[in-house]
Amino acid sequence: MNRKENLVMEKGSRMSFVLNNKPISLHVDPSKRLVDILRNNLQLTGTKISCEIGRCGACMVLIDGKAQNSCLTMAFQCEGKHVETIEGISENNVDPIQEAFLEEGGFQCGYCTPGMVISLKALLNENTDPSMDDLKEGLTGNLCRCTGYGGIHRVLQRFCATEECNK
Amino acid sequence: MLLDKNSAKDKWRIRPDGKEKVTGSLQYLTDMTFPNMLVGRVLRSEYAHAEIKSINISKALQVDGVKAVLTHKDIPGLNGFGISNPDQPVFCSEKVQYEGDALAAIAAVSDEIAERALKLIEVEYESLPIVDSPEKALEKNAPLLHPKGNILHETTYFLGNMEESFEKCTHIVEETYETPRQMHTYLETEGGIFVSENGRLMVYAPTQHGYKDRMQLSRILALPEESIRIISSPIGGSFGGKDELNVQPYGALLTLACGLPVKMHYSRWESVVAGLKRHPMKVTMKTGVDRDGKLLAHQVRILSDTGAYSTLGGPVLNFATEHSVGPYIIPNVEIKGKAVYTNNGVSGEFRGFGGNQVIFALEGQMDRLAEKLGINPWELRRRNLRGMYDRGPLGQRVVPTNGALEVWDAIRKSSVFYKNKEEHQPPWIRKGIGLSMAMHGSGLGYGIPDPAGGQLRLNENGKIEVAFGHEEFGQGLIGTLEILLQDHFQCEKDDLEIIIGDTDKVPPSGSSTASRTTNMVWQALNRLKPPFLQAIFKRVTQMTGVAEKNLQTGPGGIWTKSEKEDIPSLLVITYKQLAKQGVDDLLFSTQFHYPVTPDPIIGGHYLYTCTSVAAEVEVNLLTGMVKVTDIHHTVAAGPVINPMGYLGQIEGGSIMALGFTLTEDAVMENGRYLTKNLDTYLIPTIMDVPSEQTVDAIEELPEGDEFGPRGVGEVGSVALAPAIVSAIHDATGIWIKKLPVKPEKLIRELPFLQEREA
Repeated sequence: MNRKENLVMEKGSRMSFVLNNKPISLHVDPSKRLVDILRNNLQLTGTKISCEIGRCGACMVLIDGKAQNSCLTMAFQCEGKHVETIEGISENNVDPIQEAFLEEGGFQCGYCTPGMVISLKALLNENTDPSMDDLKEGLTGNLCRCTGYGGIHRVLQRFCATEECNK
Repeated sequence: MLLDKNSAKDKWRIRPDGKEKVTGSLQYLTDMTFPNMLVGRVLRSEYAHAEIKSINISKALQVDGVKAVLTHKDIPGLNGFGISNPDQPVFCSEKVQYEGDALAAIAAVSDEIAERALKLIEVEYESLPIVDSPEKALEKNAPLLHPKGNILHETTYFLGNMEESFEKCTHIVEETYETPRQMHTYLETEGGIFVSENGRLMVYAPTQHGYKDRMQLSRILALPEESIRIISSPIGGSFGGKDELNVQPYGALLTLACGLPVKMHYSRWESVVAGLKRHPMKVTMKTGVDRDGKLLAHQVRILSDTGAYSTLGGPVLNFATEHSVGPYIIPNVEIKGKAVYTNNGVSGEFRGFGGNQVIFALEGQMDRLAEKLGINPWELRRRNLRGMYDRGPLGQRVVPTNGALEVWDAIRKSSVFYKNKEEHQPPWIRKGIGLSMAMHGSGLGYGIPDPAGGQLRLNENGKIEVAFGHEEFGQGLIGTLEILLQDHFQCEKDDLEIIIGDTDKVPPSGSSTASRTTNMVWQALNRLKPPFLQAIFKRVTQMTGVAEKNLQTGPGGIWTKSEKEDIPSLLVITYKQLAKQGVDDLLFSTQFHYPVTPDPIIGGHYLYTCTSVAAEVEVNLLTGMVKVTDIHHTVAAGPVINPMGYLGQIEGGSIMALGFTLTEDAVMENGRYLTKNLDTYLIPTIMDVPSEQTVDAIEELPEGDEFGPRGVGEVGSVALAPAIVSAIHDATGIWIKKLPVKPEKLIRELPFLQEREA
């Protein structure tokens, strides 16, 4: 992908942030949301777009390690922050969270999956021995229409630290 | 077999499309970009019903950055689409019939500019009275919505004698059941990219049937079908909702007008307004039994709100009519159904296809009758259940199936019934258990073209290549094909190439709907394999001298058959070496038809799948909230090919049905949607579902059955609602007849509240 071409924007102010561990600086129209910049300008389309009101979680990214809806985040709000998208998480190899989704059938159409992975990543960053309830609560902002959460429950079982899950 | 990772053993496979999906690297069609790409937008109606006096696009055309503004005047061919009846205008010219009607489309260099230009299109309307329910549409003086009247389709079915048989009944239950306007809620909203290239139109847009989109577009654009190429997979969910055209006519017309690529991607709000929904139905059933609990008479009235246009409203009503008898033997039956036009949103194809609504009603009847008789509701079903060789619900011959009895029996062993009932519950929580069952037809049914086909070849790169005109919308088609092919050829995954979703590369295979795809690819491969192997082995024999009968396919190439266990097979030739000798004579294709009943009953099905469901609920007496805490499914659908896919279909279909039962309703008032996004249209979250569902797959088929694995895309979604409703009754004594179950309504009916208010 030729990123340089896409960084040229006519208006707005320059902003700098760290995207997937690399510093980035670009002109941003103040009316643009983070999801617009990611998908349209940087072609990072692993971040999906679906409800655009922060309800479905398909556009989830990590901002300073916390899961945020990039449809509810204005691009300029990311000045100086660390933003990590699904592409960043997948850069080197498949994360254990992604591995679990693959092995447990935690997705079908896959459109919600990057957001699911991000939310779970954020949760596990903060909570190293989560209960099943903690894990489920971490995914309440992510909707899946295909799986009925069957496979996603099986994914969560693998990250659950409490006794209930080690039966 | 209880279906899970352990029981599936080596058939539990990571999906071929999995890594791309979990890493976000898979490009959905709405993720694509092209150089100089424009944004396409559609102007929707301001009214649910109005005459159009004038449309003035001149101001919109003057906006800098606007490349095209199109209206009905710019359609070269047919101004209409619809799978079974093309009565939905691409652009309205004289009248708008619902809130989602399109009047114009704009292509502009940015979404902001397109949006601004949309607001500058001036439309003069003269409002007309809104017909917002089928009842109003059927009134004598109702405004006429379509030239032939307000009834899209009627069905009738008679067997025996109604009046006489009701006189003989000991108990009769008559009830009207209502079901919601359920939204598919695919996470990827409708969209696509349209490119005009070297005199051809490239359409990158999700659909469940690429060739059918090509046909419909060719009609609208007045272009030969061959000049249109439909690239239609991968898809971010469909569930029936993307089978009909959506963005395609607009994107295609815009790119042809501008000569530049055009991208369309509906916002969720536009998807709600313009997208299809499940038909809301009012189903009245009057059902009678004798003192022994034998069903004697069953009278059914179905009123279906098909919305502003046809799409598949007729076939959905046919399906509902057929499924309102279910797996039961009833000597006297009278069914009358009406699908009626209104100014509401368009209803169309949706997983279950009209079965879900009537099965909710029918199973409700069985439970109520059992209560009147004072017998166990499951026992009542047993007394009336069809046997292996009984005819189908409308008297048509069907492929012998013992599925109904098998699922009836199997669910009784469900662990739902053996839980520790001593579990401590707060006094305001009441638990209940409910059961239900259904039989569900697959394929399109008698009288409807239902072609299938596929292609198998050794390709130039030395891969065993299959091509099917089916689509991958998440169900796991690619994984199923990989498993089938590896079973057939004992080869490596790397030896395979699977091609779907591109009309330039695949043969017509019919639609990926009606739980038909697994069955059709299974049948196609069975037909293709023998001639393919014969041709390959013949070639290898010519080249190597090894006799044909001593050859077999295997990893990487053709191997000798080992006659004794201690003599290893030897690699004779690799697929790549074989391909170098030419591949033209190693291509085989097949065309056939989905199996159909010989009896001329329009839409009547031949292949049936059966299911039974047990659900456990907790009703909160303080809030009226219902929580489903356990769900068990048994499914009799023949052999399981792809366990992960099968389990996923049942689990996913089931939770879609949970939403249908408890929370989902696209509410319309005066022809307008009130639930505009996912903050008010509530699909289940992970907190709303049981942490585990059990799926028991009954794989045995009657001896001599040649039809193989039946599809399970729909059957998981058809029978949960009545099980939940039965469980609520078990917990509270209250019978629900309208879905979704409203806590505020339920709580008013709770006995202790009524006592207090009295």
